Amino acid sequence: MPAETHMEGAPIGRNEVLDIVRERLADILEIEPAGIVEGASFADDLGADSLALIELVEALEEELSERSTGFRIDDDDLEDLRTVRDAVDYVVSRFG
Amino acid sequence: MLPVAVDAMGGDNAPHEIIAGAQKAIDDHGIPVLLVGKPEVLEGITEIPILPASEVIEMDAEPGSSVRQMKDSSLVRAAEAVRDGTASAMVSAGNTGATMASALLRMGRIKNIARPAIATLLPSPGGTPTVLLDSGANSECSSEWLLQFGQMGAVFAQHRLGIKEPRVALLSIGEEPGKGSPLIKESFESFSTADFNGGSFIGNIEGRDLLTDAVDVAVADGFTGNVALKTIEGTMKTFFSTMLEKMTSRPEAASALEILEPEFAELFELFHPDTYGGAMLLGVKGVCIISHGSSGALAIENAIKVAAEMAEVDIVGSIKSSFNQSN
Repeated sequence: MPAETHMEGAPIGRNEVLDIVRERLADILEIEPAGIVEGASFADDLGADSLALIELVEALEEELSERSTGFRIDDDDLEDLRTVRDAVDYVVSRFG
Repeated sequence: MLPVAVDAMGGDNAPHEIIAGAQKAIDDHGIPVLLVGKPEVLEGITEIPILPASEVIEMDAEPGSSVRQMKDSSLVRAAEAVRDGTASAMVSAGNTGATMASALLRMGRIKNIARPAIATLLPSPGGTPTVLLDSGANSECSSEWLLQFGQMGAVFAQHRLGIKEPRVALLSIGEEPGKGSPLIKESFESFSTADFNGGSFIGNIEGRDLLTDAVDVAVADGFTGNVALKTIEGTMKTFFSTMLEKMTSRPEAASALEILEPEFAELFELFHPDTYGGAMLLGVKGVCIISHGSSGALAIENAIKVAAEMAEVDIVGSIKSSFNQSN
């Protein structure tokens, strides 16, 4: 679970976060966003290796820091993010 | 001409051999260099511009997290210099995975390329060297990735080696289409109908063909490619050291060695990795040369030459346009 549970920032809806994760992931993995479902495992279903996940994390930090200054995903939390749903839940929880 | 950013802290022989190689590149080839590293270590160097970086990613550090956490490391700063347009290319003999991660995360991936790959030149006596890729970036690959490696490798062979119509092959355990792993068999199908930017797919090759003129671009997953590369390097090292031992075991043999010294020196140079300067990371939006961890001054000098040449011929732009056309 996130080291810090809430951040100051503009509210963001779960569906919006899901769309952002899908788009960034599709861009990184060169696949169609529509093929990325919430339950998909990064490694087993999408073939994302550790570097691809770090690309995703950096892309999310860049995009979401515009909504909440200094938004950052802690490296210690990365191993808990195994599915698209985990990533979406994580971001939503950080925004409170 | 923009300088080549050289990671002064990376490698077993850093910083002295790195600095010596950089100085040779400047003096003998007129290539501007930007040394990236700890100011206190580079103190006293007045003739080469320095880009300060306070951290060093160690050779055994975990690539992804170290690049994320050590934002003021020499590797990350070198990649940022290329991204920001203050350097034309980067060279590092440091942690290979972290070099790749720095380039990928700071320069970014070329559109339509799923994963970057490491392209290494293998000597081919009497012919042009063979491009082997992927030689270690991606242990597990899909057939789509292998196809992209082949297409990038073809563009690289054209620019780096001047081969207009490169012959592309899959590294397998037999020449017949049905030979090899499921990945190779699946890839054979897609390679057969693919466009290689003017090059052509010639089928499977075996390991014994790598150092011959039978192929220009040999494609493998990163695990296989790295095993092949290290096997060749290890074999060469063992062969030359054993030969030297034998040739100095008797006075007559030593006399023969003295006579044959120029030929042996030529062979040694042909097969020594330092001659080629390093491997190029293909698929990122910048020129990144990955040198051996054990690189000495000669390897760094050659790596800087290759980096400058690849920036000059705009290899990245050529790969970009090739992929925009074929996808």
